Amino acid sequence: MSDTLVPQIPTTNAEPVRRVPTDWTTQAMQSRIRRRYASERRFRFAGLAAVWLSAAFLAYLLITMVMQGASGFVETRVSLPVDLAAAKLPIEPARLVGRGADLALAGAGLEGTVLAAASAKYGKDGANLLSDGAWAVVRDAIKADPSLLQRKAVFEVPVSSPIDVAAKGNGTPDAEAVVARLKASGALSRGFNAGFLTSADSTDATRVGIWGAFKGSLLTMVVTLLLAFPIGVLSALYLEEYAPKNRWTDLIEVSINNLAAVPSIIFGLLGLAVFLGTFGMPRSAPIVGGLTLALMTMPVIVIAGRNAIKSVPPSIRDAALGIGASPVQVVFHHVLPLALPGILTGTIIGMARALGETAPLLMIGMRAFIAAPPSGLKDPATVLPVQIFLWSDQVSRGFVEKTSAAIIVLLVFLLAMNGVAIYLRNRFETRW
Amino acid sequence: MSAIALLFLVLGLGLIGWLTARVRATRFRAGSTVRFSSLPSHHGWFVALWTAVPPLIFLVIWSMTSPALVTDTVLSTPAAMQLPPPGFDRASILSEARSLAEGRSFGAFHGLSRTLAPSYAAAQTRYDWIATALALLLAFAGGAFAFTRVKPGFGARTQVERVVMLMLLGASLIAILTTVGIVASLLYESARFFHVVPITDFLFGTHWSPQVIDGRDPGASLGAVPLFWGTFFIGAVIAMIVAIPFGLMSAIYLTQYAAPTTRKWMKPILEMLAGVPTVVYGYFAALTVAPAVRDFAVSIGISWASSESALAAGLVMGIMIIPFVSSMADDSIAAVPSSMRDGSLAMGATSSETIRRVLLPAALPGVVGGVLLAVSRAIGETMIVVMAASGVATLTLNPFASTTTVTKQIVDLLTGEAEFDSPKTLAAFALGLTLFVVTLLLNIVALRVVKRYREAYE
Amino acid sequence: MTKSLKMPILKMTARNVSVAYGSKIAINNVSIDVDQDEVVAFIGPSGCGKSTFLRTLNRMNDTVASARVTGEIKLDGQDIYSPDMDVVQLRARVGMVFQKPNPFPKSIYENVAYGPRIHGLAGAKADLDRIVEKSLRRAGLWDEVKDRLSDSGTALSGGQQQRLCIARAIAVDPEVILMDEPCSALDPIATAKIEELIHELRGRYAMVIVTHNMQQAARVSQKTAFFHLGSLVEYGNTSDIFTNPREERTKDYITGRYG
Repeated sequence: MSDTLVPQIPTTNAEPVRRVPTDWTTQAMQSRIRRRYASERRFRFAGLAAVWLSAAFLAYLLITMVMQGASGFVETRVSLPVDLAAAKLPIEPARLVGRGADLALAGAGLEGTVLAAASAKYGKDGANLLSDGAWAVVRDAIKADPSLLQRKAVFEVPVSSPIDVAAKGNGTPDAEAVVARLKASGALSRGFNAGFLTSADSTDATRVGIWGAFKGSLLTMVVTLLLAFPIGVLSALYLEEYAPKNRWTDLIEVSINNLAAVPSIIFGLLGLAVFLGTFGMPRSAPIVGGLTLALMTMPVIVIAGRNAIKSVPPSIRDAALGIGASPVQVVFHHVLPLALPGILTGTIIGMARALGETAPLLMIGMRAFIAAPPSGLKDPATVLPVQIFLWSDQVSRGFVEKTSAAIIVLLVFLLAMNGVAIYLRNRFETRW
Repeated sequence: MSAIALLFLVLGLGLIGWLTARVRATRFRAGSTVRFSSLPSHHGWFVALWTAVPPLIFLVIWSMTSPALVTDTVLSTPAAMQLPPPGFDRASILSEARSLAEGRSFGAFHGLSRTLAPSYAAAQTRYDWIATALALLLAFAGGAFAFTRVKPGFGARTQVERVVMLMLLGASLIAILTTVGIVASLLYESARFFHVVPITDFLFGTHWSPQVIDGRDPGASLGAVPLFWGTFFIGAVIAMIVAIPFGLMSAIYLTQYAAPTTRKWMKPILEMLAGVPTVVYGYFAALTVAPAVRDFAVSIGISWASSESALAAGLVMGIMIIPFVSSMADDSIAAVPSSMRDGSLAMGATSSETIRRVLLPAALPGVVGGVLLAVSRAIGETMIVVMAASGVATLTLNPFASTTTVTKQIVDLLTGEAEFDSPKTLAAFALGLTLFVVTLLLNIVALRVVKRYREAYE
Repeated sequence: MTKSLKMPILKMTARNVSVAYGSKIAINNVSIDVDQDEVVAFIGPSGCGKSTFLRTLNRMNDTVASARVTGEIKLDGQDIYSPDMDVVQLRARVGMVFQKPNPFPKSIYENVAYGPRIHGLAGAKADLDRIVEKSLRRAGLWDEVKDRLSDSGTALSGGQQQRLCIARAIAVDPEVILMDEPCSALDPIATAKIEELIHELRGRYAMVIVTHNMQQAARVSQKTAFFHLGSLVEYGNTSDIFTNPREERTKDYITGRYG
């Protein structure tokens, strides 16, 4: 032991010393023990602090988003008297029903009438008070009640973004002054911004909505689920139940484990090079987004599926084989149903991750400005997280609350999905 | 006929095949007392598969080859003679004509695409009809062939099960295909990039400014070292300085100290940190953390501090990684046999002494593996750095200065308005390849470490 | 310690000790004395509570959240469950060896040095070296491992591991050593070595050994306690218990009627 790490120990053959019990009561020992306990308390406190600080980060993040985003669901309105009778819009009442109504009213110059009414009421800058969508409120009111065209009425119309921001206490000094004046005259009111849930992207912060992005997310997720779930489950079944132990199987396993850890942006590059480049699929389309996310989600489902299948005890397989079921019947009649809750849990978690994914979709062009909700898998679309990213880049202050509001919506969905996954796990968790 | 309608038609034929074969099999079973190896539904599946699978395979192959056929036909028309020679213009005119023909767009930028559109539409229609006819022919031929084999002694079950096995095998091959696809596309595009820019310039150059690329020496402004450094600095240094202590200590507290109910509640709450989408973290970093970091830096006298500092992105990334480190550490500590813990406690060690001197050293390989996985995740993370880090590549050790990362540059390079094969675009793939290789190596090493460690205690 | 060595000196006393896990009672009203110079064996069928009782003697039951201990256990006249008893000191004074050898995944040297280090028993490096050597010698392992002290403790054979664990327990210089079926995972030769070791250590430490092997109890112990269904059935000199038990149940167990 000449060159070991351990110090040389003198190998005396002397008789072991007579036992003298350790005296624990000495001053030195007692203070040493006090120090050890102090260090124990510090360590424990550090652990507790780590847990609470981590939770506090989460709470702070969520509270910040809710505080900022809550006002995104609210719009500020200004009361606007419009004398439609005096405006004498050139329009026949018959055209006010059905699909042509919007076009007819726009063609008749309703927007100009509304803006003029604003100038009349609030001075020459009055038109700047109104949101671009203000006249649409009047339009919808007329469609609902054509008799409005024959009289003077007061409408509650949304204000423009700077005024809206100022009314929520965050605007420029000029806008704040305008708001103070309007408030004093009692012209301002607030209401639920239904348009936020029903419309798509816009350049005007007061008119934006998440429906377009939401629909894009929905279409993308449908494609992802339809591809990733069957492929994931079938692969998991193959690897766990049938695969021979050989080099090919090893290769498949290594591939799946690595795919699960590959950065998501790499999948975006794959989508860009293969789906858009080689196959010439349309840019910004939910089908491409779904394909890309499916490749990303599939390994997650395979891994969760294999764990679920592994936990089905072999005795059940033996029992089924024993009464003459074929290997395929054993798996599809017995193993798969028993493993299904676990597989579903994994699938939901994988889908939740895909729903929150942004980077790979930027690569395949889903970051375009798209003002109309997609109507099919090949239409240009965007998705919720990308919409959040796009709005976060906007300079206009009105977009801050919209970004946070969209984040709230996204988080609610993710929370719901994870909640369902946890419920499934607890409800069907079987201890064999 | 549209692809969807054709798909449903084929599937419908398959269903009909299933029903008829089932009825036939039920009938001959009813008249016999012999035991059959196959149930009527097996016969049904046998026929259905023979009816639907050949046309489906045909349609997949067709959908990949027919666009080229259609284009060839269009190119052979007289109008195509006016097309410019192969290149970007030609491709864009053709794709415009195609979208005009399919009714996807209404306006045309090139006049020529308007003249080509009708021949496109005609060719498309003709090939669609050919496809429909061939698909139906295959469906009927397959179905008829299979139906003649539905006889009492026929082992439909073996046949169907063989197909099921093939499907399972096919599904699991998708994973390999994906890997191959990633590697091939990254390698191919990177090879094109390294054709223009010497690989040494890219890997060892210290100047990165893709906005101004000198056409004669593109490599001079495409040196990726500042990006590698920025990625490492943000993902492996700053983020880990946050994530390792928090993740490790919370895992220790939750596994060793916390009451079962506390653990039951706090663990999912911490896991929620991992469930928050990265775009939300990015927004949070850009909106809240980055200004706070800058204000702090200014208050300690660094007046030039960037509002897109490495620190802001790294801090938020670290928070995001906490649950990841925590759950890896949790697993590793749980894998240490409890007899170790008992042995240490029985000697009069306090809990913290037991954890620090026995459990952690024993769990160290697992923890290290987990940290490597966490690093691999952090350096591949995109949205936080896209939203909170700067686009300016600087080689700096100062956390308040602006730094950029590989992922941020990939996004910036690919979302500009450059053509697909400019050095700028291709550089993104070279960065992607580097990122892929590094994360792959980290994962392989980490998984091996973790696996060996698990085996040591089994 | 200065009293006459002829007189038996009570090291540990247990009076009316009961242990419950939640609502399940594992030990019911057990009273036992452990003398300074003796080896006490606990015997009884599996699940009779002998190990549970052993673990109450150095408060290892504290690590089980649901365990409740009532009654009184004293070490040198001091109640070990009283609030001013420090569990860290207690466990240093009452060492324990487990059923399955559990060396730490460290070097042999570090395994033995662990206790002295945490308790600060060795000032200089030389002191620590001396303690390590002394403990390994007492555990009868020194000659086998002196040339490879930096090897991992887990690389030793099962019997060597168990002796390493005994050396580790000795290194903090305890007053009592509790052994929970220390030979159950070992082969007969390793078992013989451990038994020999127990003989040699007697007098230096009070020892309590749980065993399911009655021959072993008869060979190594001076006193034997027979547990059954959580109760202490009989406690007395080993020679008496094995030749002339007072209780019918003890006799049945020893003669192999059940167990």
